[in-house]
Amino acid sequence: MEEEDPISVALTQEEGISPNEAPRLSVGQWLRTNLFSNWANTVLTILGALAAFLVLRGVLNFVFSENREWVAVRTNLRALMTLSYPESQYVRVWVALGFVVGLAGLSAGIWANWGGLPLRRLSTWFMGVGGLIALCVVVREPNVLVDSEGKALSTLEGSLQRESFGAAMADRVDWWIAAVVLFAFGAALWSRYSSVERRHVDLPITSIVYVGIGIAILTLWVVPYGHYAFVDGTYIAEPGTTVAFSTQMPWTVMWVLLGLGFFVGRFLRSSRYVGMSKAGSNLLWLICPFALFWVVLRDPALDYGHVISTDLPMGLAFGLLGAGALWLLTRSDIGEAGRIAATVLLVVAIFNWVAAFFGWYPMLQKARISFLLLALAALLAPNFIGDIAKRRQLVIGWLGVMALVHYLATMINTPSTVDLQSDEFLGGLGLTLFVAVIVVILSFPLGVLLALGRTSKFPIFRMLSTSYIEVIRGVPLISVLIFFSVMVPLFLPDGMELAELAAVLTGYTLFSAAYLAENVRGGLQSITKGQYEAADAIGLTAAQRTGFIVLPQALTVSIPQLVGQVISSFKETSLLAIIGLFDFLRVANSVIPAQSEFMGVKREGILVVAMIYFFFNFVISKYSQRLERRVGLGER
Amino acid sequence: MSIDDATTAANDRLADRDDMIVCVNVDKFYGDFQALKGVTATIKEGEVAVVCGPSGSGKSTWIRCINRLEVHQGGDIVVDGIELTNDLRNIEKIRSEVGMVFQQFNLFPHLTVLDNITLAPIWVRKKPRAEAESMARALLERVGIPEQAEKFPGQLSGGQQQRVAIARSLAMEPRVMLFDEPTSALDPEMIKEVLDVMKELARSGITMMVVTHEMGFAREVADRIMFMEGGEIVEVGTPEHFFTNPTEDRTKLFLSQIL
Repeated sequence: MEEEDPISVALTQEEGISPNEAPRLSVGQWLRTNLFSNWANTVLTILGALAAFLVLRGVLNFVFSENREWVAVRTNLRALMTLSYPESQYVRVWVALGFVVGLAGLSAGIWANWGGLPLRRLSTWFMGVGGLIALCVVVREPNVLVDSEGKALSTLEGSLQRESFGAAMADRVDWWIAAVVLFAFGAALWSRYSSVERRHVDLPITSIVYVGIGIAILTLWVVPYGHYAFVDGTYIAEPGTTVAFSTQMPWTVMWVLLGLGFFVGRFLRSSRYVGMSKAGSNLLWLICPFALFWVVLRDPALDYGHVISTDLPMGLAFGLLGAGALWLLTRSDIGEAGRIAATVLLVVAIFNWVAAFFGWYPMLQKARISFLLLALAALLAPNFIGDIAKRRQLVIGWLGVMALVHYLATMINTPSTVDLQSDEFLGGLGLTLFVAVIVVILSFPLGVLLALGRTSKFPIFRMLSTSYIEVIRGVPLISVLIFFSVMVPLFLPDGMELAELAAVLTGYTLFSAAYLAENVRGGLQSITKGQYEAADAIGLTAAQRTGFIVLPQALTVSIPQLVGQVISSFKETSLLAIIGLFDFLRVANSVIPAQSEFMGVKREGILVVAMIYFFFNFVISKYSQRLERRVGLGER
Repeated sequence: MSIDDATTAANDRLADRDDMIVCVNVDKFYGDFQALKGVTATIKEGEVAVVCGPSGSGKSTWIRCINRLEVHQGGDIVVDGIELTNDLRNIEKIRSEVGMVFQQFNLFPHLTVLDNITLAPIWVRKKPRAEAESMARALLERVGIPEQAEKFPGQLSGGQQQRVAIARSLAMEPRVMLFDEPTSALDPEMIKEVLDVMKELARSGITMMVVTHEMGFAREVADRIMFMEGGEIVEVGTPEHFFTNPTEDRTKLFLSQIL
């Protein structure tokens, strides 16, 4: 807790809540000093306001135009999210999402220290939103008049006929009501909480966020969002049901999970397991993309006869016989015999692979792997000779490794029951997020290693890393992606295949790592020589110096650049469309306009996609600003 | 007690001690420039040796060669019987026995004071964390800032930072402490608090080698003062000898400039 107190102090100070507030300017004074201080500023202010007005009016006219078919987006929400993922398997997606949501709640409970938002500030937001809605209602052009068949009427000169301003305002009475209600609510809050003694009454930000999400989910129960299904290779609309009907319950469950996770996190935070929970939640975040990928796309169609007759006995045999052998090999009187046994095992293990190469005798791949692992464990055995505890460690470790290897081998070797319609991989936002998350997670350690290599004093590492980084940075991402999707399969030996997505992920990761490496290198260069010398002088090894002293500081310094790289990795997943994958943007750009009901309806989808991209990147960027402030504390 | 008596007493006190640092004809080059020209000196166990001299005389370079922050090109350096060679094991052994305090403190800004001090004991000496922390708190007590343990270095004054740096070095329980101009980067009012800690340390009997311009400190606690100029040791003697009766002209000139 000690480390958090100064942070909250720093944050409250930044929000300007000090007991003695500086005298505030009146509105008129503020306008004069900031906008109209001299004639040049006045002209710029007027021009700027005009530009803002035109942009706002243009956007509103676009969004509310009678030519817009927002129903295309509403009906295609599911396609935008996952494209052709089978509906019967949707429960997996929900399970995966529920896990992420619960984990997010848990982490927020353990870590979040968001403090409170003064109600006075919240009230200005309400007034601001109300005012903005009113402004939009006024700025938007009056609707175009239509005849009885719904065709737009035009004047003799050919321009569109619009209703009168008064009629337009009357048409938009629902918007007016919304604006007035919001503004009045804000004003009421303001008048109640603007007095000096109530000025600092706070509402916890966590509850504001939670209630906000709750309201958004509540709309699912009210607003019909539409539904579009993918059946037998074609999309058909199902007018009766809506996405809202099929998702309102799961989303509500997600909301509850978020809250539960948060309370569990808060409980852990005040318990004495807080350190362990922090490490645990970080670890879960790191492995969950891979595990959830498994949940969403693979449910092995296990042949239980085969499992019972072959897989299970084989795993047990290797585990138990190996454990017995290792127990014998770690006896204190084993002497030279142990080394001889280990060598024999190694020879047998290698011979198995040679035999596989020439096809002398059949053997399951996992048996070969197990043999090799047993030989390696036998080579390690001399380190565990001695007391019972050490010997037990080795045996238990062996049993764990065998359980994991045999479980994975069995699972991987059986086909998936998730039968994707059409031959497309997961698509839509699911694909975009999946690729972005995996690429960031995988390229981060690689990028750090490359940066360390480039600044290493060993010429061979330096040369390899430098040339790798320079080659990759000299090539456009799109060519790397094309190379990996088209060329790499040609170089692979016969019979070896790499799924297109795996190839692309590899290429994208390698590409992203080079850029990350340059960002980290910038951080590394900011570490002074004194830090290295101090670490050397207290006797740290080179690895300890890097891990404890250099990297933490270097990564902290490069947070802004690293976040920039994360954001651009996320945005550039849209290039996947070019090599034939159906990402989020491509669904909006090509899939929806190809549907017979929405032929050529493109702009709406693209605008929504842009907004969702913006939302994610805005959240990432805000979070990074918060992170910078937090870690900056150590420097001051 | 006369000057000669004092010198004799100091020499007698050191005569039967073991050698702690032995330098024989140490040469160091930066490109074509020779920073150390055959430096030869022996520092005994428990001795407090002050190295002084004008800037650029090679005193910092010399002290940095002793724990291999700089690599010497000629001659031999032996610390506590271990010869300093390219062998990494020897370098690690020497570094864990030799503590160093820098002019710019060089604390780790991303770690708390306590973590700064416990890092090496935990990871190099493999001490349990609880033991390392209680030792760190005892050391902070010794350098007079027990209440700063949870703060970050950036929140401390220069004098406090330097005292943390001394505690960090002491946490490795070194047999030798090297000080490279420990007070040069401090504001005048903070110099005393650091010197007090160093005086206390000197009285505790640890071997110390101090590069400094603080002649008051040298006069009070040094067993011997070495005067360097142009990469050579020009004159060696007890403080009494050095301040009252220097033999070399260059020493006299230096003293006349700084006293």
